[in-house]
Amino acid sequence: MPKVEPTPIMPRELTYSPAKVGLDEVFGPVQIQGQGQTQQQSSEPRPHWRYLLESLKTLGPQAMNERHEKAQRILRDDGATYNIYDDEHNPSRTWGLDLVPGLITSEEWSVIESGLLERAELFNALLKDIYGPRELVRHGIIPPEALFLHGGFLRACHGIETPGEHELILHAVDMVRTQSGEMCVLTDRTQAPSGMGYALENRTVMSRVLPSLFRDSHVHRLAPFFQRLRQKLSSLSVNHDQPRVVLLTPGAHNETYFEHAYLANYLGFPLVQSGDLVVRNGFVWMRSLDGLNRVDVIMRRVDDWFCDPVELRNDSQLGVANLLEVVRTGRVVIANPLGSGVLENPILLKYLPAIGKALIGREPRISSVPTYWCGDPEDYKYVNAHIHELVIKPVFRGTGEVSQRMSDLDEQGQRKLLARLKERPSHYVAQPTLLPAHLPSFEGGKLQPRPAITRSFAVACDSSYTLMPGGLTRVGTEEGAFVISSQAGAQSKDTWVIASEPERAHSSDIAAEASNLPSDTQLISLPSRVVENLFWMGRYAERAEASLRILRTVFMMLNGEEAISEISRKHLLETVTGVTGTAPGFKDCSQETLQHPEQQLLQIAKDPQLAGSIHFSLNAMLRSADESKELLSSDTLRVINDIRDAAQNLDSALSGGLASAPEEALDPLVTALMALAGLARESMVRGVGWRFMELGRRIERSMQTVCIMEHLLLPVLPEHDQNTLMESLLLSVEALISYRRRYRARMGVAQALELVMMDPNNPRSLMFQFDQLKRHIDALPKTKTSIELSAEERTILSGETTVRLSLINELSKIENGERPELSALLKKVHDILSQLSIDISDKYFDHRVGPQQLVRSNWQ
Amino acid sequence: MKYRIRHITEYQYADRVSHCYNLAHMIPRTSLRQSCERSQIKVAPHPSFTSRREDYFGNQAFHFEIQRPHEKLVITSESEVEVFSQRSGINLDFGITCRDALELLRESKDDEVLLAREFILDSPMVRANQALREYAAPSFSDDRPLLSAVANLTERVFKEFEYCPESTTIATPLDEVMATRKGVCQDFAHLQVGCLRAMGFPAKYVSGYIETLPPPGQEKLVGTDASHAWISVYSPREGWFEFDPTNNQVASDQHIITAWGRDYYDVTPLRGVIFGGGENPILSVSVDVARQA
Repeated sequence: MPKVEPTPIMPRELTYSPAKVGLDEVFGPVQIQGQGQTQQQSSEPRPHWRYLLESLKTLGPQAMNERHEKAQRILRDDGATYNIYDDEHNPSRTWGLDLVPGLITSEEWSVIESGLLERAELFNALLKDIYGPRELVRHGIIPPEALFLHGGFLRACHGIETPGEHELILHAVDMVRTQSGEMCVLTDRTQAPSGMGYALENRTVMSRVLPSLFRDSHVHRLAPFFQRLRQKLSSLSVNHDQPRVVLLTPGAHNETYFEHAYLANYLGFPLVQSGDLVVRNGFVWMRSLDGLNRVDVIMRRVDDWFCDPVELRNDSQLGVANLLEVVRTGRVVIANPLGSGVLENPILLKYLPAIGKALIGREPRISSVPTYWCGDPEDYKYVNAHIHELVIKPVFRGTGEVSQRMSDLDEQGQRKLLARLKERPSHYVAQPTLLPAHLPSFEGGKLQPRPAITRSFAVACDSSYTLMPGGLTRVGTEEGAFVISSQAGAQSKDTWVIASEPERAHSSDIAAEASNLPSDTQLISLPSRVVENLFWMGRYAERAEASLRILRTVFMMLNGEEAISEISRKHLLETVTGVTGTAPGFKDCSQETLQHPEQQLLQIAKDPQLAGSIHFSLNAMLRSADESKELLSSDTLRVINDIRDAAQNLDSALSGGLASAPEEALDPLVTALMALAGLARESMVRGVGWRFMELGRRIERSMQTVCIMEHLLLPVLPEHDQNTLMESLLLSVEALISYRRRYRARMGVAQALELVMMDPNNPRSLMFQFDQLKRHIDALPKTKTSIELSAEERTILSGETTVRLSLINELSKIENGERPELSALLKKVHDILSQLSIDISDKYFDHRVGPQQLVRSNWQ
Repeated sequence: MKYRIRHITEYQYADRVSHCYNLAHMIPRTSLRQSCERSQIKVAPHPSFTSRREDYFGNQAFHFEIQRPHEKLVITSESEVEVFSQRSGINLDFGITCRDALELLRESKDDEVLLAREFILDSPMVRANQALREYAAPSFSDDRPLLSAVANLTERVFKEFEYCPESTTIATPLDEVMATRKGVCQDFAHLQVGCLRAMGFPAKYVSGYIETLPPPGQEKLVGTDASHAWISVYSPREGWFEFDPTNNQVASDQHIITAWGRDYYDVTPLRGVIFGGGENPILSVSVDVARQA
């Protein structure tokens, strides 16, 4: 009798015991029993945790696991990723969300809140002083070096003022609760703080997977914060009637790109990259299909020193030339203002109590992590004496240097760090490693204590700041861990500030949430880059689909019960090369390859390096999709994710080789691509973006049809072989069934031509494509009023006419073993289609060459 | 002394430039020892947008944007500058000593001193290091007056480095200048700035023009003057003093300042981005400094 392995039985209840090291949030603040005495943790959970713990206990590990999977599914479907692949072989990582929220009572939060609001005001005053009178330096409150050596102090930004009371629009801090039970700020994020979009996404997911727990906990809502943010950004505009606010992203390769697209959508602002913006005549403009549109406010996610290649970092490809000069004249406002990165200088933390006294009349209420500046001789001595207990942190993040702990380094690494410290001490600070308080996390079917760090966000409003209730919490990967970073695989958590009474929803908030979908008028003013990407997304999706179909067809024919002739085999394989564009491939290849095409066929399917392979086209399509993410519905994003997975899995799916029905392995991809096409038709707003995607699709499909006809209908062959090719043609364009139904067994070139070329009712025929193309082109935005046809209108008209005027009998005629009429026609149609693609690209897309520096200088 | 200055900069591109954005530091600034009385910049082809402002260092910054295709860019800057007579007969052998200067720089709470400390720090193109310090050290001793030490350093750079107009491009790293002992005025200015900072003294890079006089009995030729660069050093309680290592002198009333900053990066005469233009544009510069009666 085989021995049966016992299935591991999960504990039926979820219980939590406090962290063994450090403070535990659940079990409450430490009771300090006088000076120098040991600290104790209470043995009972604090009251506001009881409901949550009870609920989790009842839910049990099994149900929690299911909820967790559901949450991950939603996150994946929303496209919530942290680091989008920057090389196409690495999949993006889905954002990790732990379902146990961090809890803070309203009373406790109001204390933290007042401390953080005060801190935001203080940093605002600091920013004003740094780019204004520099009183802090003049009066010796901070040593001049503390300011002047920092790479984030941008002299070009001196004297720039932002309209309204605040210079600093967004202020974020990373904070932890320390052993003493107090909140302590580790860093301030003042450049382009990331995380608020992830916080919002976390909240959305939590309310969906744990609805009743969420409802009953009376959690303070996040929407009012984002509404304030939107209001503030709009109010910065000098153009009060219809301010145009855009969100500037470095691009789809950025690690937090998901958030950029997500926020742009939520706030209703176009998402732009540097190439979408241009300075002209003293204003900033966005390139759109209908020309240049003025931009009034830029919410930036690009670091400030990259924002203007003329005055800031000269070799930047992420900036807009002359942007700074437009900011100076007040014709565009940037949030956070350029130069605000200087506030991330950790030396300032050392002097913060003194700065507070000088600027707001008191030391800040919320404390910061103790900071030793190695540029100060006393501090330098202390750091050297305690080097093993400290984290050594570079003053400026922009150099790519990272924080290091001696204990994490090998001997050589330690020597290097000490040498750097000795050579340029003033470029480093040292801070103790704080052990953050622990929160329960659901891991491995259990609740386990994990150290937590929370990022909070404040946005300027009329006369003060508004704080997001809660924030983005991240937890370490093990109990007692000091390092918590999303890069290192930390999970995130929602943070709930819980009210004793339910909050009343304001009608305005609900209105704000309803306006999430971009309306059609906004679609017209899309950056042209986005529509270009939609166009290519359409083309690549169709190309991948056509390649899949022909490959599937060839697999079926090669493996069919009826052996096919040498000559048919050659023509079929050449069609694969033609459709995928992987020439030379099977053209003029050896007999050997024709006999054993397996290797090459599989390569055409799955080799991402081979231009034209299915995997290659899919990657190109996915990249275009990423670039236009903000326009895709969540259903579409889900299908895109399926395609991404299927593309990654092509290797294993096809591992069986030709023998094991590879055509079936390709089926899921064909289905997913068809779903994508279906969704585009059914769930995308019929705006300009959709038209371009359809144009791309139709042009590609027509070209593929022409290509297949060239390979399978042109050759004049014995009847049996002719039939094989015909059958392949009809299989690959999915017309075999209708053909058989219509023409019974009479297989002839004339009938095939009728079906794949002329039939206006066959959605894969050339005639059908031209009909559709014409319709889309007519609906594009036009600027001119002349009655003369535009280039693309002329091209599409000539294409349509060419097909409509052709005579089937003439086309099928054979002369000297060829079909000259058909050959000429197909060539003509092919040229017309290429021209159409060029016409559209010339008129609507951007063709600038990149900038180059007039004078190359070395920047350090 | 009153001067009329004409500074023409011409870029001939290999290929068409569709549009460009530029920032020029070509208008002489006003300072304690000179006053710019009139100035005008002409750009061809005609720019679609221009603006002028004072930058962080108090220099005149001129922005322009050209939106029409062109293959040649010409910038003509004309100005009239009055240079006041120099503080006559500063005796470099008196004044604050190196030791006292360093102590004041460290301890003084005077805001002029505090703000001057910005110029001790590394800047984009000048990074102080041990080699520079070792080179400079022989000129400095605790009891020597600071300005005397700087004058000595100026003389040593003049004597020990070869002026070699073709030897360097604009962006020559200091290490290379130290190794080859060759350079042009920008390199010598950078070198001396680096030496002074390595010794702990604030130093600025000054860009401008120098009037050249023809040999006796000859007419002065048009376009023979040049844009020039020298340095300015800060002596606590005494102020900023300019030295010219290329000519081994204290800046005279033949030195006309355009702009100053931490190094060449802050005061580049013309920088910016162009769209198109091909490779290797040909740059030609001509400067005329004419004495007015």
